[in-house]
Amino acid sequence: MAETLRDRQALFLAGVIANDAAAEALIVDDNRVGAAKRLAIYRNNYRSSLTGVLADHYERLHAYVGDEQFDNLAEAYVDAHPSHTRNLRYYGEKFAAFLALHYPDDGELAELAALDWALRHAFDAADTAPLDAAAVGELGDAWIERRLTLHPSATLLPVRHNVAALWSSLDAEEEPPEVMALPEPATLLLWRNDGQSRFRSLAAEEAAALALLDTGASFTDLSAASIESQGEAAAMEALAAWLGRWLSDELLVLAD
Amino acid sequence: MDSKTAPSPGFGLGLRPEHYGEFRAGPQPVDWLEIISENYMVPGGKPLAMLDRVRADYPVVMHGVSLSIGSEEPLDFGYLRDLKALADRVEPLWISDHLCWTGINAHNSHDLLPLPYDAPALDCVVGNIGRVQDYLGRRILIENPSSYVTFRSSDRSEWDFLAEMAARADCLLLLDVNNIYVSARNHGFDPQDYLAGLPADRIQQIHLAGHSDMGDYVIDTHDADVCDAVWELYGDAVRMFGPVATMIERDDHIPPLAEVIAELDCARALAARVLEPVHG
Repeated sequence: MAETLRDRQALFLAGVIANDAAAEALIVDDNRVGAAKRLAIYRNNYRSSLTGVLADHYERLHAYVGDEQFDNLAEAYVDAHPSHTRNLRYYGEKFAAFLALHYPDDGELAELAALDWALRHAFDAADTAPLDAAAVGELGDAWIERRLTLHPSATLLPVRHNVAALWSSLDAEEEPPEVMALPEPATLLLWRNDGQSRFRSLAAEEAAALALLDTGASFTDLSAASIESQGEAAAMEALAAWLGRWLSDELLVLAD
Repeated sequence: MDSKTAPSPGFGLGLRPEHYGEFRAGPQPVDWLEIISENYMVPGGKPLAMLDRVRADYPVVMHGVSLSIGSEEPLDFGYLRDLKALADRVEPLWISDHLCWTGINAHNSHDLLPLPYDAPALDCVVGNIGRVQDYLGRRILIENPSSYVTFRSSDRSEWDFLAEMAARADCLLLLDVNNIYVSARNHGFDPQDYLAGLPADRIQQIHLAGHSDMGDYVIDTHDADVCDAVWELYGDAVRMFGPVATMIERDDHIPPLAEVIAELDCARALAARVLEPVHG
């Protein structure tokens, strides 16, 4: 055969991923099973491993829409997004964006997917040592000038629907509440604490504070911004409460 | 004859997250564990924490599914770097992957795709194994795959290909007895010819698993008990190759750990029976 191994592999893979029937010419046909059916075994393996990993990654979205609808969504995503990742763990990153694009009237789908993905990320994100009260004590007064950032496991997720409530019901295998749009856009914080993936809803002020720290701001920078937006008394009270919680939640790390 | 292999550490299991709790709860009667390397090629969190705990109590071997030594394109050195970092953390008894390719031109099938058994594929695989072994600083094990197609360009048997590959690349073999059975059914060869064609001094590990029998063909699903025909073939392999590190691979419909251990005990008993000296 004249083609290189690489050419033959490209053709075989097109048969697996893109249903290119020309790939059948590469393999021996037989009366018992036949080339087409033999190639289809690999095609099915490919599709079922990708749809299977989507079902693993997007477990609550799957529970929300049910098996049949999830299969339809997953198949459509696999068609639109052949895998370019070596580790199956990282397949499906764009599923939320795909849902947002194709189901703009069902915004909770993309948000539930983004919530599932961010929790999956929190599960195996890097073990960077968090800043705790003891570490702050060791740094002394100088710590407030140090640039901070959020722990690698953390995601700030903007939402417009009651997906936190939906997710919690689905996780508990209960009937989820009616989907509804929130009166105001909100932010969810997802991160890992004590080895467990967690999330909570943030008030607007705390969301803005964490978003600022996520850009590498220091506690001094944050204090100035909070005083500017809330006034000194409210800012001081809020900063003290937030800091205690962030440290015990293992949410902050030094940026450098 | 000098064996290329290390002495067998005994009977092991593939570590699966479904069994983490049982491994945490107390010592289990397994001699060693095999991890799927990619499951721990992540930045941190629970998978690596669990791996460190398990590693403190059991010898571990690393089994990869993404090396793609059969792809005719440059090796992914980012992947190899991560694999080596994991090996530095785990200090495994050995590292294995498959005689296959998983993708080409930046597309990945996440499957163990079959190779033509011809000279260009052999050159490709031998070259890549050499580069991987140089990079990792150790011999690796290559596993025989299950396959469902035969390429028109194939001009030799899988066992001849494996034997020549192992000799030229100076690598070791991971013999999947179920895969021999599955491929023998799918392609109509005699599994005894397969066993007889392998280099006994390079077989470091054996996999046992279940499959799905579709009638006209068999699919390697790892979702069922080891079947009688595969047990029989395992007995033949032990008779020919002596005591080889053996484990059960279960990837779907995973039963409680005790059931998998009971199946592993069947392997222990069978190997002991086969290797028992004949008293006259």
